Amino acid sequence: MSFPAKISTALCIVLLGSTTTGAAEVDFQRDLLPLLQQHCLDCHGPDAAESDLRLDNLTDALRGGDSGEAAIVPGQSDRSYLIARVLHDDPAQRMPPDSERLSDQQIELLKSWIDDATSWQGAEAELAGRRSDHWAFQPLVRPEPPDLHSAAVRPQPGASDDPDAADEHISNPIDAFIIDRLHSEGLSPSHAADRRKLIRRLYLVMHGLPPTPEQTAAFLADQRENAWQRLVDRVLASPRYGERWATHWLDLVRFGETHGFETNRERPHAWRYRDWVIAAFNDDQPYDQFIIEQLAGDAVGADVATGFLVAGPYDLVKGQDTQLRLIQRQDELADMINTTGTAFLGLSLGCARCHNHKFDPVTQTDYYALQAIFAGVEHGDRTIPLDQPTRQRLDNIDAEVADLHQRLTNLIRSHNETSAPTVLRWRQPVDAALNEESFPAIEARFVRFTIAATNQGQPCIDELEIFSGTDSVGLASKGAQATSNGDFEHPLHKLEQIHDGRYGNDRSWISSHVSGGWVQIELPRPRSIDSIRWGRDRHGKFRDRLATDYRIEASLDGDHWTTIASSDDRLPLAAETTPPTYDFTHLPPTQAEQGQAWSARLESLLAERKTLAESAVAYAGTFSQPGPTHRLYRGEPSAPREAVAPATIAALGDLRLADDTPEQERRLALARWIAAADNPLTARVIVNRIWQHHFGEGLIDTPSDYGGNGTPPSHPELLDWLAVELIESGWSLKHLQRLIVTSGTWRQDSRPHDRGLDVDAATRLLWRFPPRRLAAEGIRDSMLAVTDKLDATVGGPGFSAFEVEAENVRHYFPKTDFGPDDWRRMIYMTKVRQERDAIFGVFDCPDFNQVVPKRNRSTTPLQALNLLNSPFVLQQADFLAARLQRSADSDAARVELAYELCFSRPADDQEIAAAIGFVEQAGWPALARALLNANEFVLIP
Amino acid sequence: MPTDLHRRRLLLDTANGLGGIALACLLSEQRLLGDSPRPGDPQPKIDPEHPFAARDSHFPAAAKNVLMIFCSGACSQLDTFDFKPELIRRHGQPMPGAEDLVTFQGGQGNLTRSPWKFRPRGESGKMVSDLVPMLGEMADEMCFIHSLTGKTNTHGPGENFMSTGFTLDGFPSMGAWVTWALGTENQELPAYVAIPDPRGTPQSSVNNWGPGFLPAAFQGTDFSANKPLRNLDLPAGIDAATDRQTRDFLTEINRRHLRQFPGDSELAARISSYELAARMQLSVPDVADLASESASTLRMYGADDTANPLKAAYAKNCLLARRLIEKGVRFVQVFNGAYQTGGEGVSNWDGHKDLANQYAKHGPVLDQPTAALLRDLKQRGLLDDTLVVWCTEFGRMPTFQAGASGRDHNPEGFTAWLAGAGVKAPFSYGATDEFGYKAIENVVTVYDFHATILHLLGLDHRRLTYYHNGIERRLTDVHGHVIRPILADKVG
Repeated sequence: MSFPAKISTALCIVLLGSTTTGAAEVDFQRDLLPLLQQHCLDCHGPDAAESDLRLDNLTDALRGGDSGEAAIVPGQSDRSYLIARVLHDDPAQRMPPDSERLSDQQIELLKSWIDDATSWQGAEAELAGRRSDHWAFQPLVRPEPPDLHSAAVRPQPGASDDPDAADEHISNPIDAFIIDRLHSEGLSPSHAADRRKLIRRLYLVMHGLPPTPEQTAAFLADQRENAWQRLVDRVLASPRYGERWATHWLDLVRFGETHGFETNRERPHAWRYRDWVIAAFNDDQPYDQFIIEQLAGDAVGADVATGFLVAGPYDLVKGQDTQLRLIQRQDELADMINTTGTAFLGLSLGCARCHNHKFDPVTQTDYYALQAIFAGVEHGDRTIPLDQPTRQRLDNIDAEVADLHQRLTNLIRSHNETSAPTVLRWRQPVDAALNEESFPAIEARFVRFTIAATNQGQPCIDELEIFSGTDSVGLASKGAQATSNGDFEHPLHKLEQIHDGRYGNDRSWISSHVSGGWVQIELPRPRSIDSIRWGRDRHGKFRDRLATDYRIEASLDGDHWTTIASSDDRLPLAAETTPPTYDFTHLPPTQAEQGQAWSARLESLLAERKTLAESAVAYAGTFSQPGPTHRLYRGEPSAPREAVAPATIAALGDLRLADDTPEQERRLALARWIAAADNPLTARVIVNRIWQHHFGEGLIDTPSDYGGNGTPPSHPELLDWLAVELIESGWSLKHLQRLIVTSGTWRQDSRPHDRGLDVDAATRLLWRFPPRRLAAEGIRDSMLAVTDKLDATVGGPGFSAFEVEAENVRHYFPKTDFGPDDWRRMIYMTKVRQERDAIFGVFDCPDFNQVVPKRNRSTTPLQALNLLNSPFVLQQADFLAARLQRSADSDAARVELAYELCFSRPADDQEIAAAIGFVEQAGWPALARALLNANEFVLIP
Repeated sequence: MPTDLHRRRLLLDTANGLGGIALACLLSEQRLLGDSPRPGDPQPKIDPEHPFAARDSHFPAAAKNVLMIFCSGACSQLDTFDFKPELIRRHGQPMPGAEDLVTFQGGQGNLTRSPWKFRPRGESGKMVSDLVPMLGEMADEMCFIHSLTGKTNTHGPGENFMSTGFTLDGFPSMGAWVTWALGTENQELPAYVAIPDPRGTPQSSVNNWGPGFLPAAFQGTDFSANKPLRNLDLPAGIDAATDRQTRDFLTEINRRHLRQFPGDSELAARISSYELAARMQLSVPDVADLASESASTLRMYGADDTANPLKAAYAKNCLLARRLIEKGVRFVQVFNGAYQTGGEGVSNWDGHKDLANQYAKHGPVLDQPTAALLRDLKQRGLLDDTLVVWCTEFGRMPTFQAGASGRDHNPEGFTAWLAGAGVKAPFSYGATDEFGYKAIENVVTVYDFHATILHLLGLDHRRLTYYHNGIERRLTDVHGHVIRPILADKVG
């Protein structure tokens, strides 16, 4: 049953009455209608619907209002919020407001209305079947591109600069959609831009760097028919592409490398996620996979990717006040939910934390169902299983190390029996933070860790992780069981914490035996296991209670055990970092030389081993099985309501998860639902984002709001066409990029003309390519490129723009001296929350706290001051001047080179004369300073 | 500048070939994109070429500019402005009902009176403590709000909340909202200046004056009497003549380039921004140069106090603030307290463990310079147009912490005061309970406080919205009511 918005109350009541014929004791017409009409419908009827609650029809009444509380639970008046509010003790809360409480008889009447469950069945069915008719939630269907054969494509008058570029407008279906809309507004597309402008635009958009003069010359000289396609392919194949486009994604997922809030401490292992994003773009990882890995990479062998979940700010300061701690935790989860909703689905879900969404079909219950998906995710570093090549390398090193020991032992023994070591102890001593044991794969159901001795007291282990390849198989959340031969009783130290996925002293287990204690993990089924990681305190604060003499055994049946690792081959604890030394003094010179060579090799292998094994920590969150999640009335942790099972937005899909679904499965189910080809939002959202980064605005200019509050697309059919094209290409973003940059639309000239400006000054319809200023990264990177100082190293930890004062609360002081360490691309500049880079940050860099789908582009005098006067820019200007003086031997040639480098074009005679005149007065560094500040330098043309 | 005049200015620029696209954008956007205004439409129409041009308020404003004094670290209401006789009487006794009360650092000790005596001040007889006697002398100018409540007891989120209306990082500061809405009167100085404490930045650092998701143009520009604006000065090694020639050459190549993009507002705006930067290079050192201030003025502020260099440095910041207000800067923030040096309470108001000794150092630094600032503004007639706001992130407990000699955090009831344009004075509004713990009378929230400040600037906090990630964001989120009883009669 549904109603037009302005239907009269009287009609509603007639209809409402007609559906409730089952209420035998209550005569609806006679008893209930006058009651509702007199007390409720003025505010909760078709005309007012305060708090979005309507009681004039059963379906809306059943849906309830904004609060998220169930106004009516059919058959259970005692659980119905409507009755609770009618009965409320507080007059300010009681309904109806500003009047006496309803009489007992009236309340009984309402109760019997609600308690007659059968009369609500129709409304329940209708509510369940209610679907939004909002465009973005409708299934994707590939539209036919408009047929433009009848309408000739006439570019605007005015000659194109490049005769080769004529009539290239309809290159692919994108252009058909764009031109069709232009025609409907009485506009035509512009001529193709000339080749110099095109290559500069392509490099600036795709790489965030200008083309080199050599690249420009090669393209100009390429007379092949597919010269543009070839150039595009080359540009897409360059690692510079991922470095540029990863920035867009990192903005969107509020990636930062400090925690934010007042302490703003560093996250030294967060960079791995940045590298993962860069690699994903460069490798053209299918977008559906890209989504799945970020939400549940731990389930699919891409652990670093879950850095997405915890990329946001995290308040390290936790007070003693439990209520405020609960709010902090709710804020952390809200950050994950909001970012997931915004980034992948283009939906703002945060509103539903406190009440049903006002514009979109997102209920408060939906919000907490999503919270149940993320409820087991905590901020923190996680040990990342080593990838296969690294594991292979470690195995090879171990084999070679063992071999070298054997040879060295034999060598020494050949001359002196007594100096030979009886046991080969060569592995690093045990480490309180983390130890890795790798061994040939073995089929096992039970793993037992037995401790013979510690450095002090009963042994403590914070986590015992068992791996099958990259899969951590011993977690409680995966159904494994822990037992022991005795636990030290303490609230902080519990047996179940040995495999809860969480690290640190207060998530650890302590044995009750100083010697001879064991802990055992039983896997749900036999697995082929090949490595184990364990530590006493991964957070590195505690070093006591460390197992120094131990053995680890595996078994299939629990009776027959095989030792898979032990401390027997480890160096004693005191010998930390000192590899075994061999004495060659008693050997003949040639043999001593041989021994020294082997010994040196051994040392270098052990050093390499240490680095490789250490390299595996990322700020990617930790996971543990959460308790039940409750809906919170008004979002208040102090007002929990019913438990909510993990699920997605009910109006859009159903994950079919039980309340106690293992943690990882929850995230994986959500990820797969988002990444499914039939999700109506996912592809529509990402194609628009890609489009936006080409043209400055998306086809939808509210790129993270596809809901009722967002704007409709300027070209809805093009949006859907691109979305389907992306899915059918196997979610290849490079395919989408290629389509866009080879379109005639993208290759248009950017110059304005009156006719276009009259109709569409903002260029939303794309009658030209919209020129715009480079973002901060583009400006900084371009400077380094033209001065030839750019360090093109890909990946790894970043560089800092600050001197850091390492107090409890970190203080960041902008650097004033710059050297080669600072000359990497800006994507590798450590992202300190709140503190934008002192020079380029004012070019609308985000502060990495909020999701930023689209940067502002403001123009301020501080930008001018920073580019004119900062030591960084002045230093680069000097480098540019030196490069010009070094690379050309006449003043005219130097000016020409400067224009080629900075603007990708030759200087004309007038410009050369003007520049030489200026240089004679002010010098080459002054010319360089001016060029690096020029509009043309910072413009995507 | 009224909107019509502003548009006419734009048309003039169009005739000159500048600003053409800006105007055309404003005019054509609505037509193309349908009938309903785009939710993303910023309400103030910002001309990209003149982002700081003065803009109309929603309704006539009582105050033209704001001077905010922010005491970082949570300045105790119980040792300054919230006089509680019962706290003195019950000194040393447990606070009823506080047996199980756990605040930020833990459990409570006994009720503890302030180490400083309260005395009646001014003609109004307002009780103010001996910690801030000179501020007390200005009590007749002040409109106290004693019933503020916050929603966090942690400094970072608390400062965020007071400065941005959200406990989380990443939201625009009040000054950013205001300058985005109103622009500024003086185009040669930054529209919004944040003056950090001489010891360093507050706990939430630049969040307190950040732009959040508003355009970067509207962030606070931070400099102080002892820390000049970064990159303002002519760089060493470049003489003035070369610098001027370089700018002229730059302007020339930019104008030449602009001919290819006639009327492009972004490119024209960049040219203008270099001109404005050049003007700022003259006007900022000028406004920051305190040499022209008389000896008596310096003495009034305590800027000449060689015995207390910290006080002298803060006093110079206060003087700088007055000079900025005098020049028409829209929003000035002065910070007292920093998280720079040492642990809690050493260089800010976070008196957990050793309140009497720490506050004995902080009080004199704050007192004379701030009082002089208020007096000076009044003497110069600047209080007629300027709203002065004194605030802190939250209050402190009437008890000392268990086993310590200081007060824990308390967002349940704390004090701020306003002075100047549009507010009643002397006036006190709202009250905490008998010990000064919880606000119980005319309880107001930080949202209400913000709504009231915007109201005094002629801005309706419900209408001042910026579309971001699917939400029409406000300084006041979805809350806030103007505290009408504190408005001067003519404001209403």
